[in-house]
Amino acid sequence: MLESLLEFLIQGVVLGGLYALFAVGLSLIFGVLDVINVAHGEFFAVGGYLAFAAVVLLHLPGAAGVLGAAVGTFLLGLCVYPLLIAPLKRRLGGRPQGPLYLVLTLGLSTFLQSSLLALAGGDYLRVPPQVSGILDLGVTAVSHQRLLVLGVAAGLLTALFAFLRFHPEGLAVRAVALNPDAAQAMGINLPRIFSLTLALGVALAGVGGALMAPLFNVYPAVGFPLTIKAFAITILGGMGNPVGALVASFLVSIAESLSVMVIPSQWQSLIAFAVMIVMLLVRPRGLLGRAVSR
Amino acid sequence: MTARARLGLAGVGVAALLPVLLPHPFVLTIATQAAIWALLAASWDLLSGYTGQISFGHAGFFALGAYGAAVSTKHADVSPWLGLLVGAGVAAAVGLLTGFPALRLRGHYLALVTLGLAEIIRLVAQNWLDLTGGPFGIHDFRSFPGLPAGALVHRQAMYVVVVAIVVVSVAIMYQVCERTTAGQAFRAIREDEVLAQTLGIDTTRYKLLAFSLSSAFAGLAGGLYAYYVQLVSPVIAGAATTSLVIGMVVFGGLGTLWGPVLGALLLYGVYEGLRFVGVVYNLVAVGFVIMVFVIFVPRGLAGLGRSA
Repeated sequence: MLESLLEFLIQGVVLGGLYALFAVGLSLIFGVLDVINVAHGEFFAVGGYLAFAAVVLLHLPGAAGVLGAAVGTFLLGLCVYPLLIAPLKRRLGGRPQGPLYLVLTLGLSTFLQSSLLALAGGDYLRVPPQVSGILDLGVTAVSHQRLLVLGVAAGLLTALFAFLRFHPEGLAVRAVALNPDAAQAMGINLPRIFSLTLALGVALAGVGGALMAPLFNVYPAVGFPLTIKAFAITILGGMGNPVGALVASFLVSIAESLSVMVIPSQWQSLIAFAVMIVMLLVRPRGLLGRAVSR
Repeated sequence: MTARARLGLAGVGVAALLPVLLPHPFVLTIATQAAIWALLAASWDLLSGYTGQISFGHAGFFALGAYGAAVSTKHADVSPWLGLLVGAGVAAAVGLLTGFPALRLRGHYLALVTLGLAEIIRLVAQNWLDLTGGPFGIHDFRSFPGLPAGALVHRQAMYVVVVAIVVVSVAIMYQVCERTTAGQAFRAIREDEVLAQTLGIDTTRYKLLAFSLSSAFAGLAGGLYAYYVQLVSPVIAGAATTSLVIGMVVFGGLGTLWGPVLGALLLYGVYEGLRFVGVVYNLVAVGFVIMVFVIFVPRGLAGLGRSA
């Protein structure tokens, strides 16, 4: 009993690394742009396909696949603000029309997902793991690939939070999240910060996609369930609060892993949504959310 | 107004004559399904376009209606005519239940909760094997009794039944939205909920009304789908269904009801037509239409007609 508890706990922590990589970016984008990126999972999928292209088609080493996924999704993310969000913003003027951005990114999600389907087909593509081998922990064994996901997630998220805390550009990102008008008055170039934040956020998802490709396989819709789950995680953590998203990622992943001991595993995915709905009824601003919702 | 009413009547007339003008099984199949989508799109527009409560969960209400109808006919041998009502009733009940927590939520949150709800419905449909048949879906249940049996005649009759129900339903929604105080309240809530409240509009009541009406008609569309296609699987509760519906409404024009109907008929035609070019490209086009219309043609096809 205790052994299996420990085993599921470890699996949950490893899964939490992936959720965090995904949900922190989503939450950061919402905090700064006030846009919920429904297409976040599609960048995860694009990352997986880029890893596939680099490793399987071009025979490059695994690290090049991850790097390619990071750079590729970053560049793709840079285009989203100027091409899609800025034009809609200009048309709407100052009116708060959050749901329209949701519809817009839903369109982007459908567009990217079906473009991937058109380009690469619907087959499940296999990507060889970036690292092989298994770490034996006594109670359970964890593949090196999963540890790599956790390690990279920890490294990237530490770097991201350090960037937000110490780097001038990172400070600008936080300033915009707090008060866009004041930030602009202080000479911060808003469109630049918006584009940068979006690109950073989706690049985290892209790296996640490249690292998870050997574990999940790659197919066009691979990211969408993750997007829906990440919504639940960001609501739990408090919308627009990256630290809250980080904490909530691990709470949800551990709850999911432990749930296997109580309920059949096919119902596992329900937990995140149940938590989300309860949270919205009890404390809509989330665990660490801002007191005033925008 | 009279010009539009005349146009509407002309549209209904053309629709009524279609099975006689083009008695081809493939055309009739597409036209029947397009009509079902038109009803679903109109139901989304009532809640999201008129009342401003963006739902990302209409695939869920649609699936509830479809499963409600299929399950009641298969397991309890309920007549399909009653099955339609069962499906719509189940969807309306869940819609009303969603409406209560949704009263406290706005914009983003509501969209995310309804998306989560649809995902829950999909997971339940996939995993409750005894009731729903699991991932492969539910089939082998009877359709509307008393329709002629010949292949083409049956399709023609089916088309007439579906289109008649869709036309009546859309007309009811149009009456509610354009001719009653409820419709005015819906629009007041959309434009400024706090102001609406200060003006003495019972926003709680009207939001719940919008939720239950919208989900009931979405469920009715699901029931029609079940008896027409004769197969209900968890796929229909997926986000792709919601995406397609929102695409249709944005294409046709938010908050007009007749725009989404037109949008659904045209977009579904394009969607099916693109199958000839290659199955995979049809959703690329839907995604593209959503993005372009949201940004550049906010009032959709309906708006184009008005400004011209």
